[in-house]
Amino acid sequence: MTLEDEAQAPAPSSIELDFQDVSYDADAPVKGQGRMDSAWGSSQGDEVNTAQVAPSKDTTGFIFEQVYQPWNGTLNPRWMRNWAILRHHVAGIFRKGHRPWSIPTRLFLVVVFIASLADVGLTLLSALIGSADLHSVWGVNRDNLYGHVLGFFPRNVLYFPIVAALLVGGVISEDRLHGTSALYFSRPINRFDYVMMKYLSVAIIQAMIVLLTLCLYYFSEIISMGRGWAWIIDTFPQFIAAFIGGTLLIITYTSIGLGLSSVSKGKFFPGIGLIAIVLGTKTLAIIVSQLFDREILYLLSPYDCLAHVGQTIIGTQPTYNQYSWTWSLASLVVMNALSLYVLSSRVSSMEVTRE
Amino acid sequence: MAEKTNTIFRALDRKAAAVTEFTMRQYRTKLSTWVVLIVGFLVISILLLFYVDGMQQGYESIDNDGDSADWDGDGYPTGQERVYGTDPYSADSHPGLLVPPVEPDPPEKWIDEDDFDWNSTPGAGQTISVGYDDDGDCNREDRTDSQKDSNDNNIPCDVVLQGPIELVSEGFTVEADNFVDEDPDDAAYAKEAIHRASILAIGKLGFVFIIGIFVPLFLATGLIRDEMSSGTMHYMLSKPIARTEVFLYRILGYLGIVWPYLAILVFISAIVTGLAGPSDSFFRFSDFGIWLSVLFAAMLATLVYGMLFCFFGVLWRYGVILAIPFAAWELGMALLSMGVPESSILRFSVIGWSLTIIDSAAMLVWPDLDIFIQMGLWGGGGDGTGLFGSSIEGAVPLNYFSSKPGLGNFSPFVSMLISTIVLLVQAAALWLVGGLIFKGKEIE
Amino acid sequence: MMPDFDQKGLPQTKEWVPEQNAPVILLENVSKTYGRIHALTGITLSLSGGVTGILGLNGAGKSTLFKILMGKIKPSSGQVRLFGTDPWKNPAPYSRVGFVPEHEKMYDWMTAHDFISTFARLNGLKRDEAKIEAERVLDFVGLSDVAHKQIGRFSKGMRQRTKIAHALVNDPELIILDEPLQGCDPLARTTIMNVIRELGRMGRTVIVSSHILHEIERITEQIVILHHGRLLALGNLHAIRERLDNIPHKIELETENPKQLAKTILEIDSVHGIFFPEGNILSIQTHNLGSFHSHLPKAIIESGQRVDSIDNPDDDLESILGYLTGGGRM
Repeated sequence: MTLEDEAQAPAPSSIELDFQDVSYDADAPVKGQGRMDSAWGSSQGDEVNTAQVAPSKDTTGFIFEQVYQPWNGTLNPRWMRNWAILRHHVAGIFRKGHRPWSIPTRLFLVVVFIASLADVGLTLLSALIGSADLHSVWGVNRDNLYGHVLGFFPRNVLYFPIVAALLVGGVISEDRLHGTSALYFSRPINRFDYVMMKYLSVAIIQAMIVLLTLCLYYFSEIISMGRGWAWIIDTFPQFIAAFIGGTLLIITYTSIGLGLSSVSKGKFFPGIGLIAIVLGTKTLAIIVSQLFDREILYLLSPYDCLAHVGQTIIGTQPTYNQYSWTWSLASLVVMNALSLYVLSSRVSSMEVTRE
Repeated sequence: MAEKTNTIFRALDRKAAAVTEFTMRQYRTKLSTWVVLIVGFLVISILLLFYVDGMQQGYESIDNDGDSADWDGDGYPTGQERVYGTDPYSADSHPGLLVPPVEPDPPEKWIDEDDFDWNSTPGAGQTISVGYDDDGDCNREDRTDSQKDSNDNNIPCDVVLQGPIELVSEGFTVEADNFVDEDPDDAAYAKEAIHRASILAIGKLGFVFIIGIFVPLFLATGLIRDEMSSGTMHYMLSKPIARTEVFLYRILGYLGIVWPYLAILVFISAIVTGLAGPSDSFFRFSDFGIWLSVLFAAMLATLVYGMLFCFFGVLWRYGVILAIPFAAWELGMALLSMGVPESSILRFSVIGWSLTIIDSAAMLVWPDLDIFIQMGLWGGGGDGTGLFGSSIEGAVPLNYFSSKPGLGNFSPFVSMLISTIVLLVQAAALWLVGGLIFKGKEIE
Repeated sequence: MMPDFDQKGLPQTKEWVPEQNAPVILLENVSKTYGRIHALTGITLSLSGGVTGILGLNGAGKSTLFKILMGKIKPSSGQVRLFGTDPWKNPAPYSRVGFVPEHEKMYDWMTAHDFISTFARLNGLKRDEAKIEAERVLDFVGLSDVAHKQIGRFSKGMRQRTKIAHALVNDPELIILDEPLQGCDPLARTTIMNVIRELGRMGRTVIVSSHILHEIERITEQIVILHHGRLLALGNLHAIRERLDNIPHKIELETENPKQLAKTILEIDSVHGIFFPEGNILSIQTHNLGSFHSHLPKAIIESGQRVDSIDNPDDDLESILGYLTGGGRM
């Protein structure tokens, strides 16, 4: 049956109404027609005060043929959709119209970026002064490359963990809190792509702080001191090792942070949780190693595992002497695996509702 | 009139009780509260486990001066030969050849045979004489008076202690006559020192820092902000209650969870250290004072941090962005206060003041703490010639984790009082400011 | 019991006495702006007693008005008085006010009884008093059988009723309900409407907001219409309509034989014009609705025609808004 048939069908006749009973008084008892109205007629659009009831003699029914219109557009390839998510998150740091990172987060990123460039400034300064002594303190060398990425204070207390904490704070949990993850999943986007892109975007933003500044540091040395190929060949392995150390740092902080972000609802919890894990385990390990001269608890601390592995691959003086660096590496692998497991299992079972 | 004010106060009481009770119940229903509290418990448990293990393993007794060895192979330890005036490096000369012959001592007798006898602490710049030659190797008859008084203070066989010139710096000058207090009881010292250091470390970094910062970070940051952003604040604020009151009573509810939790944890720690710690009797009661101060300091710290983080939350939707760097700052301050307790930058932290309370209490509970650290660092001066001089195990950590209250020339009790007042003033100021900000907030 | 905290300096320490003869609500030239957006512009309003409906489309400023009344936000200019006291500065008048916020979020982990009794204690009630009070108000809204169930398990209508019950604690003189009917099923709607009407009968001042005129009509005739943050009309709904006498009212009758009926109806003085828009419909225009309605029954009986329905299509909010803003029916 089509709509035309429906129009030809007998119109439902109106129920007879004794208007004497109709009262507009506020205190009117709710009965009869009024009850019908109050029951079914009170949303927008049906303000008209009539009730229409189909007469019982009418036995016709309607079944509407359902015609689905296929969508004839072309779906962009998967990587293109993912690129859109990634771009949305990363570009949000720089300009409006993308993911709105809060102003303080962006401000903090700028401050940390500049603060991370401190050694670049010092290198340029020492080159300007031309003092070899100063340059040996500030210029590129094994220890400084290590320090740029894995130094504890201030970089791994005040800069990198806090950057990670601020970034992961809202990435997944806020989406869940506000129900905006539903906006993603109502489009042809797979859950794992969604999480993957969130992960990558958080990692890329951190890489700008950690790795970009490391590269700038290295290049500033080359340019300011006019280093030749010999020097570059000499120090490049160290630079690469520091780069790998920084990458490990970013991966570990991001995994833990997003793992926390996926299990919590609020904005506060993942950030605080990440800071508590990084600084709390570190403090705990300091207490035990100072008191009982046992370093074993450093294996619980993500930062110390990173530092231990970093010291080994960059080749600086090791500060952890009681166990091999492979233990630290194993511990890092376990931490990352655990976090990623939590993340993936939470995301695959995530209810796409506003929680 | 009196009756009337009374009823108003009663009404206030009722509101306070209602909001406090409500807040506590709200915490109890949240999973995150339990996770945070259990993790905190695990942290303290790990520390206590390491502590108990450290106490159980015992410490090795070292022959600091090397006089238990029998260098010449005549069966007599060096110390014994010295006392009898025979040549410790010649097998042909030993007390067995004396008339009447002397039986050789077992070597153990010459280990830890000359313990510290330091019974008073010098004041700033003051010089005092302490020490007693327990084993008699200084007071040997064959030694001249000038040999007996190698530190030239005209008292034979003593130790000269000079207090630090400035009270706040830690180093003492120790000058002992040769062979005085040169072989202390390492094991006993190490156990005692590690015990004290553990209490200070668990108290200062475990309770005041880890628990004291992270529990409020998790629990107090959203105390008012969460309600504001979810809209449930409307229910509370449509009642005749001032917002400053809401702020205070919510904090009271938070303290109602956190303070008992702290008390339980501190109590457990006190029991564990009391049972496992070095003591003549079954239980070591003497540390209860320091644990009380740890509890007190941690309570004040959680109060101030709670007010602060709650205030950050009220101030701004992204209050956590302010709170996280602050927590990192406080870690820096905590570590700084271990090294440089007199640093004035500590006055701009919360933790600096809280740790002063514990440091002051340590000085009250263990009046000999200073001298105890110094004797351990000095460690007997080696074999009397200074060649083997090294500090005793436990002295370095104890020195690291203890510090003098850096407020200047106040007595410990006064320092404690000042710190308490400062912390309470901080809390009150934060409440006032937080309340005012909250009052001026428009709630959507 | 918690110990006494020194509350000196806080407003509560002085016992609050409402001003004599002050209107329950008094707004004088109140405006609220958010940056360049004018949420409310120059509202002057005084209300005491009875049920008043605040009508307006979404974004008309209803919720802003309520938040200002409840001291949640501060007016940019103008004066607000609840029982003669400024609510932004002093929360004391709330002991006589009940507020039902529009937010859906509630404390899902509490039972309805717990929720209400806990918050009743903020009015200064004792624990036992609060429990009795909670039972009373839950009974009033008809939830006493589920009082000890968790709010999280309630349906939308039950949640709304719980919110209303919460507002009724301490028997307030003023009850403000922000969109109490939104999202409720018809049964809950009817129950809530009955509760509100009952409150009006009990002599409380009740303010209800809605964007559906039809809902408000079933509750009250006294309305305030807000549009784009401005006060558009105030008073009896039908009186307002009649005030717009230069624009004729439209009444539609549905009958078998409209022409027959029209003959008798034309004899009524107040009739201005008659149209026959389609088959069975008779459309009448009048300048005086009250007079027309008093004469209409007689005219119908005289004509001997059967009337199937009578409809005032103009009395809905959109058309009134349309007339008031001068654009005819929107």
